[in-house]
Formats: sequence, C-alpha cells, structure tokens
Amino acid sequence: MEATSSELSAPESGLKSKIGRLFSRVPIIGWLFGALVAVILEQIVGMPLALALGLPKIPVLFGFVTVLKKPMLVPSTMLFVLLIYFLPIVIIARLSLEPANRLAEKLINFSMEGSVLIHLVLLYAILHIWAEVSDYRLLILKFTLIAIMVTVSLNVINGYMGEFSCSHPGFMALGAYTASVFTVSLFVNDSLFGQALLPSFLGPFLFPLGLILGGCVASLGALLVAIPSFKTRGDYLAIISLAFLFIVKSLIENLEFVGGPRGLSSQPDWANLPIVFAWTVACIWIINNFVRSTLGKALNAVRDEETAANAMTVNTRRTKMVAFMFAAFWAGVAGGLFAHVLRYVNPTTFGIQKLAEVLAMVYFGGLNSVYGSIVGAVSLSILGEALRPLELFKWIVIPLLLILVMIFRPTGLIAFKEFNVKKLIRPKQSPGKEV
Amino acid sequence: MAFFLQNLVNALQWGSFYALIALGYSMVYSILMLFNFAHGDIFMVGAYIGFGVATGLMVLASLWAFTLPGWLILVLTILLSMFLTSFLGMFVERVGYRPLREAPRASAAITGLMIGIILEILILWGMGTQRVSFPSLIDTVTYNIGGVFITNKKIMIVAISLSFMLALHLFIKKTRWGMAMRAMAFDYVVVPLMGVSINHIARMTFAIGSALAAVAGILFGVAYPVLDPYMGIIFGWKAFVAAILGGRGSIMGATLAGFLLGFIEIFVAMIFPSTLRDLIAYSIVLLILVFRPYGFFGEPYSAKLRL
Amino acid sequence: MKKGLISIAVACCLIFGLVLFACGPEAPKTIKIGINAPITGDIPKVGEGTKFAAQMWLADVNAAGGLDVGGKKYMVELVIEDNESKAESAVKVNTKMITEDDVLIIVGPQSSKQAVPAGEVANNYSTPMISPWSTNPKTTKDRPYVFRGCFLDPFQGPVVAKFIKKEFGFDKAAVLYDVASDYPKGLAEFFKAAWEDLNGAGSVVAYESFTTKDADFSSQLTNIINSGAQFIFSPQYYNEVALIVQQAHQLGWDKPIVGSDSWGSAETVQLCGKDCYGLFFSTHYAAAAAKGATKEFIDRYNKEHGYVPDDVGALTWDAMRIAQQAIKDCGTITGDLKADRQCVRDALAQIKEFSGITGNMTFNEDGDPAKCAVIVRISDQGEFEFYESVCP
Repeated sequence: MEATSSELSAPESGLKSKIGRLFSRVPIIGWLFGALVAVILEQIVGMPLALALGLPKIPVLFGFVTVLKKPMLVPSTMLFVLLIYFLPIVIIARLSLEPANRLAEKLINFSMEGSVLIHLVLLYAILHIWAEVSDYRLLILKFTLIAIMVTVSLNVINGYMGEFSCSHPGFMALGAYTASVFTVSLFVNDSLFGQALLPSFLGPFLFPLGLILGGCVASLGALLVAIPSFKTRGDYLAIISLAFLFIVKSLIENLEFVGGPRGLSSQPDWANLPIVFAWTVACIWIINNFVRSTLGKALNAVRDEETAANAMTVNTRRTKMVAFMFAAFWAGVAGGLFAHVLRYVNPTTFGIQKLAEVLAMVYFGGLNSVYGSIVGAVSLSILGEALRPLELFKWIVIPLLLILVMIFRPTGLIAFKEFNVKKLIRPKQSPGKEV
Repeated sequence: MAFFLQNLVNALQWGSFYALIALGYSMVYSILMLFNFAHGDIFMVGAYIGFGVATGLMVLASLWAFTLPGWLILVLTILLSMFLTSFLGMFVERVGYRPLREAPRASAAITGLMIGIILEILILWGMGTQRVSFPSLIDTVTYNIGGVFITNKKIMIVAISLSFMLALHLFIKKTRWGMAMRAMAFDYVVVPLMGVSINHIARMTFAIGSALAAVAGILFGVAYPVLDPYMGIIFGWKAFVAAILGGRGSIMGATLAGFLLGFIEIFVAMIFPSTLRDLIAYSIVLLILVFRPYGFFGEPYSAKLRL
Repeated sequence: MKKGLISIAVACCLIFGLVLFACGPEAPKTIKIGINAPITGDIPKVGEGTKFAAQMWLADVNAAGGLDVGGKKYMVELVIEDNESKAESAVKVNTKMITEDDVLIIVGPQSSKQAVPAGEVANNYSTPMISPWSTNPKTTKDRPYVFRGCFLDPFQGPVVAKFIKKEFGFDKAAVLYDVASDYPKGLAEFFKAAWEDLNGAGSVVAYESFTTKDADFSSQLTNIINSGAQFIFSPQYYNEVALIVQQAHQLGWDKPIVGSDSWGSAETVQLCGKDCYGLFFSTHYAAAAAKGATKEFIDRYNKEHGYVPDDVGALTWDAMRIAQQAIKDCGTITGDLKADRQCVRDALAQIKEFSGITGNMTFNEDGDPAKCAVIVRISDQGEFEFYESVCP
C-alpha cells in the first residue's frame, strides 16, 4: 500500500501524461459511478476502517477538520482518503471506461433530457449517501449549495453584465424574510404571528411558493436599485446598491413584526437536501440558459461596448434591468432557503461581511462563468469550514489565497468558460474503439 | 435655535471625518479608476499608528524627564503617523494594485478588500482583543456659547481637517505633481506616453490618501478615544459612498459629499426617530443620485470595466 | 496497466475485509465538553474571555485527576470551536461538535443571535447546552435541553427602573441604545415598559438609538438634552459607554447616566476614565467588593491573563461548574452518548439551586436562572463598588 501511495503522489512527468491519457477518455458518468461506489464503500466499511487506522471517526471533510487540530493523524487520514475515495474512484472510472462510454452514447442518443436527468439523479445519490454519514456534512452541503446559487446569480451582474453590485446580501435578506414570514405565519404557531392559518401537511407543497414569493420581493427591491442606477453608465450602481444594503438592514431592524434585530426563528424544517438540491439545479440550469440566450449575449454586448450594443438595436437599459432583477430573484430564493436551513434569520447576517464573502466567491471562481462560480462557491465554503481550527489565522490564509489568485489569474480561476451541459455529459470516446 | 446650532456643530465634526477619508477614496478613484476598499482599514491602522507614536513620545518624554506640551505631541504624532502610514499605502499599492493594473477593475477591488481583512486581523493579533484607549493629549475645555456647547477639540478637529483639505487642493491645483495627477485623471492611456510615470503617480496618490487617512485616524482617536480593529469597515464603506457621490475627479466634490453625508446622518437623527436613521439617510442619498446621477461635480463619462 | 489496476482493487478488497473484522468502539476514557465561542468576528474579546475561563476550569479539573463521576475519574477534553460571531457558523459548530466530536454537553454560544439558532440544533439532537450570556427569552423557550447562566432582560429592566425611582426620585427618563444589537434593544424595551409602569405613559421623554459601530452620538445626545430628561439609561457595551459618557459631558450633560450588566468590564473605566466616576449600573457581581470564590477567580484570571475578567468570563466559569455539577449528579457515564446526554440533561434540570461566583441562582422550568442583581457604583478611584443588591 505504501508503495502505491508514494508512486501516485509523486508521479514523473512521463507518468503524468500517461495517466492523463488514461483518464481523459473517462466520461462524466464513469466518474459518477466511481464516486457512487466510493461513497457506498464509505457508508459500509468507513467506520471500521477509520477505527482500524486509529482515527476517532470517519474524517468528515476529507480529514481537514481533524488534521489541523491533531497533526499526528495526517498519515492515517491520507490513507483513509486514498482507500475510500481516491483508489475506488480512479479504479472504477478506468475499469468502466468502455461500458460507461457506451452508456453515455446510448443515453445521449436516446434523449438529451433523459441523459441529463440520469446524471443528476446519480449526482444526487452520491451527495445523499455522502451526507448520510454525518449531519455535519449535510449542513455544510446545504450551505454550500445555497452559496452556489448566490454566487452564480451575482455573477450575472458582476460578471456577465460587468457592473459592480453590492446589494446581493440585501436581496438575500428580502427573500429570507419574505419566505420566513410566509411559512411562519401560515404554518407555525408562533408568538409573533399567532396561530397557524393552514394545516401543516400543506406546508411542504406551498413551500416553493414561499421561496418564489421571496424571490419576487427581492426582484422588486432590485427594481428600486435598477431605476436610478441604469439611467447612466458608470460606477453609480456600486454606491446605490451599497446604500440599498444599508437601507434594507435598517428597514428590517425597524420592522417589529418580524422581530427586528432579535431575528425571526422557528421556521419549519422543510429545506431538506432534495429540496435544496433541486432548487440549486434549477437555478444553475435557468441562469445558464439565460446567459446563453439572446438576452445573455446582449448583456455581454452591453458590457463590452454599450454604444455599439445600442446601435445594434439592443435596448441596453431594459437588458440591464431585466438581468439585474433576474439575478436578484435567485438571490432571494437562495435567501429563503438559507433561512429555512438555518431556521433563524437576523439582519446582521446580511451585512458587509456577507457581501465580502459573496464577492470573494464570485471573483475567486471566475467572472462570466457559471462553471467558475460553482467552483468558487464550493472551494471557499469548504475552505472556510476546513480552516476553522486555525481561528484567527484563517482570516489571513483565505485572503492571502484570494490575493494570489487575483494576481496570477486576474479574472478568477475559471473565467469566461461556457457551461455546456451537452459537452459535459457526452461520451469521451466512440464505442467499440479499443485503446 | 441653540438646538439647531448644536447639531450643526456636531455635523461639522462628524462630516470632516467622512470628508478626509472620502478624499483618499476619491483620489484613487479619479486617477486609477479603482475602488480602494482597503482604505477604511488604512484609516484604522493610521489610528493605531497614531496611538503607538503618541504613547511612544509620551514614554520618551517621561524617560528623559522633560515635559512636552500636549499640543506638541499631537502635532508630532500627526506628522510622524502621516509619514509612516503613507508607507503602508504605498505598500498596499505595490502588493495589491500594481500587479492588477491591467486586470479587470473589480479584481483590484477584491484584493483591496482582502488586504483590509488581513490588516484587521494583524492588528487584532498584535494588539490583543481589548480595545485601545487613545491617550488624551489635550485637556477638553467646553465652551458654552448661548446654549451651544463647543469643545476645543471640536474646533481643532474641524480646523485641522479643513486645512489639510485646502493643502491638498492647492497641491493638486498649483504644483507640477498635482498637474501630473490631474492629467492622469483626465486620460489614463495617453498621459503615460508623455513621460509621466503611472507608477510614480499611483504611488504618490496612495501615499497622500493614506497620510490623510492617518490624520483622520488620529483626529478620530482624539474625538472618540476608543480604537478597535474593526472600526474602519462601516466607516470606510460610508466614506466610499461619499467619494463616489462627490463625482469622479473632483476633490472639492468628495469633500463636500463627505460633509453632506455627515450632515444628513446627524440631521436625520435630529428630525426623525433615530431608529430610522440609516433608512432615511441612505434613501436621501439614493434620491440625490436619481437627480444628479454623476454626483455633484462629476461629468458624464464612459466607465468601462476593462475586461 | 489494466492488470495493475485490478491487482490494486483486489488488494483493497483484502484490506477492507481485514478491517471488517477489526474490533468495535471502546468505552470512553474522557469526557468531551464543547465550547462554542466567538473567537474571531466582531466581539473577539467575548470569545477570548470564554476560552480563558473554560481553560482555567479545565486545568483545575484535570489537575485533580479528572472529573469524578460515580467513583470513577474521567479526564476532560475541551472542544473549543470558533463561531466567527455569525449565526450560521454557530449552527455549523454546534452540529459538528454534536455529531463529530461527540461532546457530552455544550457551553455557549454567547450572544443571542447565535444562541437562538444553535439552541435549536442542540435541542434537536437532544444534547444539553448552556448559554452563559444569552439574554433573549427565545434561547431556552420550549427547549428542554437548553439552559442559560444569566438573567433575562425582563428581569434586569425593572430592577434598574425601580432602583432609579427609589434612589433619585426622577420621573423623566431618556434611553440611548443600539438598535441593531439585540441585547441593548431588548433591555431598552423592557426598561421603557417598566419605567412607564412606574411613572405613567410618556415618562420616557427621549428614546434614541444608533447603529453598531457608530462612534458619534452627538445628535441623539443633543435630542436627549433638549428633551429635559433627568437621567440617561444606556444598556451599552463598555466601548460605547466610554464614548457616550464623554460626549454627553462635552455637550453639557451633568446628570446621571445609568447602565446595565454590559458595563461590568474592567475596560469600562480604562476607556472612559474620570468621566465615568460616580455612575451606577446593575450587574451580576461587583469585582471590587468580591469575596470568597468570586475574588479567587478574579485574582487568578488577572494573574494568568493580565486583566480583570469581564462578566462573560465569570458567567462561563459558572456555566462550566454547573455542567460539572450535572455530570457528577448523573452518576454514571456509560459510553452510550445518547443515554449519557439524556442523563446529564435530567441532572441539569434537577439542579434547583446553585451557588456560583456570579451569585446564587435557582432555575425555573424553562432552564432560566433567577438570581439577584447587584447595583454597582463606579467609585472615585475607578473601582466597582457594591451599592446594593436587588433580588427578584
């Protein structure tokens, strides 16, 4: 085992390209199979294996959380990750190369939508089984998915439209409070709103309505920002949106019926993993279609050369306003989910700190790229969690990392890359052709 | 009447802090078209440097057993801290902004934001968690002029800030360096071709802005003698609003907008219930922008994110 | 290559097979206690106080050879996690400590904005939690597993109102508080209600607020001075207290300013200086007049960390000792975490009286303590003098 790990961890350049060639033809479905096997394996043998390796428990976030506190556990944690994740994924992906390619081919020929759906189901299964091991994982996963929604939607404004908006936490707050008021007043016996108005079995069915309502209120707020901002070109959106953020926070603090600064709690526990996952997928899918549509291209045109875009019959003001409200809608939905995962909201959550967090995710991941936003949100969420044991120094490590990324890749990790679903799930090699 | 005048005096003091910090934002914004989000934290570090210098001077004086008058310590503190903080500004420019000169502007804003966080944490780590009390260098004397209470500190703060603003104005209007800065603000692309080094100008801009932030920090410490590592955040963002509100390329605009923001905050709390202060104050800011979309003295321009 | 992969796969299967036969979990040798503290974020001082007090307690317990439960000694391990002073982080930290670190009991989080959602988590997982500092009634309401170590806002507001009425005989009050922070806001509301109960509607002539991190209160203070109030009640944290008091004096205010337990930090006087001498506030204990265990704690903390502990340190210390008491009362630690947690929670609910360094407390059915408040006067030497004691 030792030999394998050292061989894999320090490959020569020749070996590297060889490995690269070996795995470049694995279709995404092959990787998903591998991951599925890995998480099932973890579910079955994870606990005994961890104990045998001298770990107190299955390492939650691939061991980061424990390793920073107890460096003695580094080798066994690495061995665990190698055995449970790395090797199974690599082996299954490689072994199933041909059947997977054939399957991918068949699926895509059968129906594009069906194929996407099957991929998503597989992905969900992996996440579900992975999160089953520990509720901590589940919570992190939910917050990460919500962070993805927020980041992707902010990228529409800051990336695709090329403006600098600071009001996203404000939109989240509007969505969070609207959705919370909707669910708490209708379905919960609460001291603020009194008796439940509807029987609680209806709740989960009407929950999406509450989220959409939250999104709509956020959109309305966006309209307020958009009307003065997009009269002109310039940096005024930055301060108008910032002023809007202050206004929203102050407004909620003064609304006694939602608890003011004390916050609003006792939201029902309806934001479970399938719901959050489904909304995240819907968000990515719709935003991805939006930015690839005519309107999205018009948005890029407006960003790159407003005058020219205007001359080419793009109604620049309308385009910007629609995009801005659209992005705000998704921030509102994300806020609503956030409130129901946390089951508590207060105005301070949606302040300057949140703004810095979201901006960091967008620019770290990459401008003008749905793909990048996903990467940015996931990596910063996990990093923030993994480095928690560093306490104060976490806030030096993460900013330093971001500065380095900005210096060496000024547009972010994966910028200007289209998120092409078809390209992603297609087979990587025509079937029957032997290697 | 006394009530109104009292608030006017309060607003003058509060506004002069916004104005001093907004100037730093505005200079960087006018010349390099960047949002320097580290500026609020440079203000905070400036206050801490001022604290260090003032304490150091007092210790030195007591060691060599001679008495420095409080005002002399204050003057020395301001000058020394301006000098030291300007180095911090230049360092921030070198590390966080110069490598990103050709990058999208927003990326530089993010590095600024991150440098700000690092500065906060370093101060928190270095100074410990307890807040620091800025030494009272001059005794407070309160004058009662027909029911309006004015302290010597208030007069001093407003006077010092106004004189620094005037000095900056003269510097930019009358000197060759100032001319170079104005030229750079006028055209970012062509002026470097005329032999004006953009790096020199950028460094100078940051140095001057940071020195002003240090002045603001020390005066802040004199007026509100409790320093903590996070004091620059909200303050900085609000001053940023003032800077943009003033209009691009206008020192006068940033100064006026800073004072205006201070006035709005104070008078809103005077007229309306103070719980609604931020709500109403920033709605007024929004309204101003609806009617003057380019700020007070700004001219229409095409600001593009250089992508 | 394919062959190589297959052989690796076989090797893995073998290892897994071996592992499956490995021995099962062992009984615990240590007791784990979780500390959920705001070490970074906007109130790092509170996090530091929590951490130091908990570590002092740990040193005590482990120096005595561990915690004695039913004749058996268990070493104690603290799991200290940083919640960044954010609500979502506090929830994550609580979930992590409960599901990952297998803590028996959690002490913290401190502020209500974190304790309310984190209490929900602890209650859902049937894990006992004591929040030493959270004053929001919602933290413990309808949550059998959540307890607290301090008195609630509804108690302290009337205490101050009655004290002022009795001491000065005033009838016009002004309140100045932070609208964005739930502790000052809650206390301000309860004080207002209590004062108007005593003096009739409209007796609070000025009710002014500001926002967290504000430094200039001149406008609000000018309003207050203009309103003809006879005193100011300001339930603010010590850093703001210094600014409020100094600015009030600079604006010509020479009447009393009264505070609440959040003034109870050595930093109040340090930051505020002579301006604060002679003022009154209500709190849990008076550091200058402290006796017995309280004095011992203060002296030791001061020796180890170089400053007199804030109320949060003392309250955390008490919370740790209450937890210790409950674990002892529980009698046995079986190693079955679920049963042990239930046992500790039942023992906690059984504690009816507890003599802590912040006073004697009796717990009600919601898990809230009733304890006496102390009115403290800041003496002309800048020390916190015991003035009188007010019990519910």
